[in-house]
Amino acid sequence: MSMFDGLKYRSVSSPIHSIDPRAKLVYVCVLFVISVLFSQLIPLLIILLIQVPLVVLARVKREWLRLLRGSTFFALLIFAMNVISLYFYGASQSIYSIIEHALAMSVRFIVLVESFSIFFLTTSPDMLGLSMEQMGVPYELCFAFTTAIRFIPVLAEEAQTIIDAQRARGLDLEGGNFMKRIRNYIPILIPLIVSAIRRSIELAEAMESRAWGATKKRTNLYVLNMRRRDYAFILLSLLMLAVSLYVWLAIRIPSLIQILEDLNIL
Amino acid sequence: MAIIEARNLTYTYPLSEKPAFKNVNLSIEKGEFVLLTGPSGCGKTTLCRCFNGLIPHFYGGKLEGEIIVAGLRTVDHPIHELAQHVGLVFQNPENQLFALNVEKDVAFGLENLGYPRDEIRRRVDWALKVTGIYDLRSKPPFELSGGQQQRVAIASVLAMQPEIIVLDEPTSFLDPLTARNILEVIYQLNRSLGITVVLVEHRLDLVARYANRIIVMNNGEIIADGEPRRVFLDENVKLVGIGVPKVVKLYLLLKEEGFDLGRVPLSPEEAYEAIAEVLAHDRG
Repeated sequence: MSMFDGLKYRSVSSPIHSIDPRAKLVYVCVLFVISVLFSQLIPLLIILLIQVPLVVLARVKREWLRLLRGSTFFALLIFAMNVISLYFYGASQSIYSIIEHALAMSVRFIVLVESFSIFFLTTSPDMLGLSMEQMGVPYELCFAFTTAIRFIPVLAEEAQTIIDAQRARGLDLEGGNFMKRIRNYIPILIPLIVSAIRRSIELAEAMESRAWGATKKRTNLYVLNMRRRDYAFILLSLLMLAVSLYVWLAIRIPSLIQILEDLNIL
Repeated sequence: MAIIEARNLTYTYPLSEKPAFKNVNLSIEKGEFVLLTGPSGCGKTTLCRCFNGLIPHFYGGKLEGEIIVAGLRTVDHPIHELAQHVGLVFQNPENQLFALNVEKDVAFGLENLGYPRDEIRRRVDWALKVTGIYDLRSKPPFELSGGQQQRVAIASVLAMQPEIIVLDEPTSFLDPLTARNILEVIYQLNRSLGITVVLVEHRLDLVARYANRIIVMNNGEIIADGEPRRVFLDENVKLVGIGVPKVVKLYLLLKEEGFDLGRVPLSPEEAYEAIAEVLAHDRG
């Protein structure tokens, strides 16, 4: 669970939290583009580092660090895969540049995780649903999204109850090999699914009783308004994109190896 | 004209052969507080689903006879239209709250109906205040207790300002004290706002004092219908095994022993008064 905690919204007040979700979405998209644009280690490291002040500003350092720790496994996996594939199948390169390239790929992954986590840690699902609605996503989809999030804790609690109940009846969840362990979870999953279906019928009933689908022109209690600083945030993101594009087109980015060689360290 | 009128109503669920209830005749007047009770599986919940058109529109099945609610034949009107006249509150509060905060949940029905925003705001605030949860308005539902969640559920149907509120065992997930507070809220809706209340409930000890009419169902039929004091003494009702309030049992026991309290008590307070009166009379 620790890894997913890094994507779970916490209600804290900070300048980043109060930025309009749509502006933050632009930011995430920009970072996505930039990190795909560059495949060299140095620019990716820079992108990684310039996001840190944002995390500090948003006061979500602890959750963010936990997420990074959770993603080290995948980062290492990416590193290993790249080293292996470049070493055996790539054009002949020095081992240093192979390592640098593989490292760059891992950092790219971490940058993506970092920016997504900044988005999800600081945007309440409610506001996210609302901004989806205002961006023209059909209401049914937005509703399904927020309802799914609303029921995560409920289902988690229910799963725990079922696990406890089945254990009390002598179910052994730990024993056996991998396949056996997966099979052990069947007595948990079946009641969980059945009760989720029952729950969904009750939910549908309650929705119908609250005039679901009465009119195509649904209104909303809350409305998101873009303020000046939201526009400023978007502008800043776009500026970052422009600078990156310029660097990408006009400047030959040196690799870390070259710099080190020039400095006679290697 | 009665606000709920059912004539020879018979309903059979799809894939079922036996009707859930048969030949129900019922007429509820505006402003009544009706308690609907009976053993499990007697058809109470099914009857509630007929009041706002969930039957037949949502469930399908075969509905015979006629039911008119707030002047509308439910078979001819969609659920969302009926929902504005009849608010339905369900047993499990958890499964009737969808939003990530209380306020948004209470607004849900009004948003669906396309009300302008300031009207929604006004009605949401009103409903939150009437049910005593205004302070909780920005909390997520999973941080609330069962009783608070049920208040939110009541507030969210109340915001649509229905003439009738139907509550299907709203207290069965709650402890007695919380249940009593919820019933008190419902009673106030009936008393001060004149909303017609149909309450399905097993805990007759708690509810008897509020209702001015009790309908008892058994095996899909209405077996008793009338003033609580009369219904509780009905022989048929005793045979069904519904939990007649303890104070009524006390009344009957005392009567067997030769002490007539005069009037069937519906709450411990009433019983206390009646007994005190009899004792004072005996001494004097």
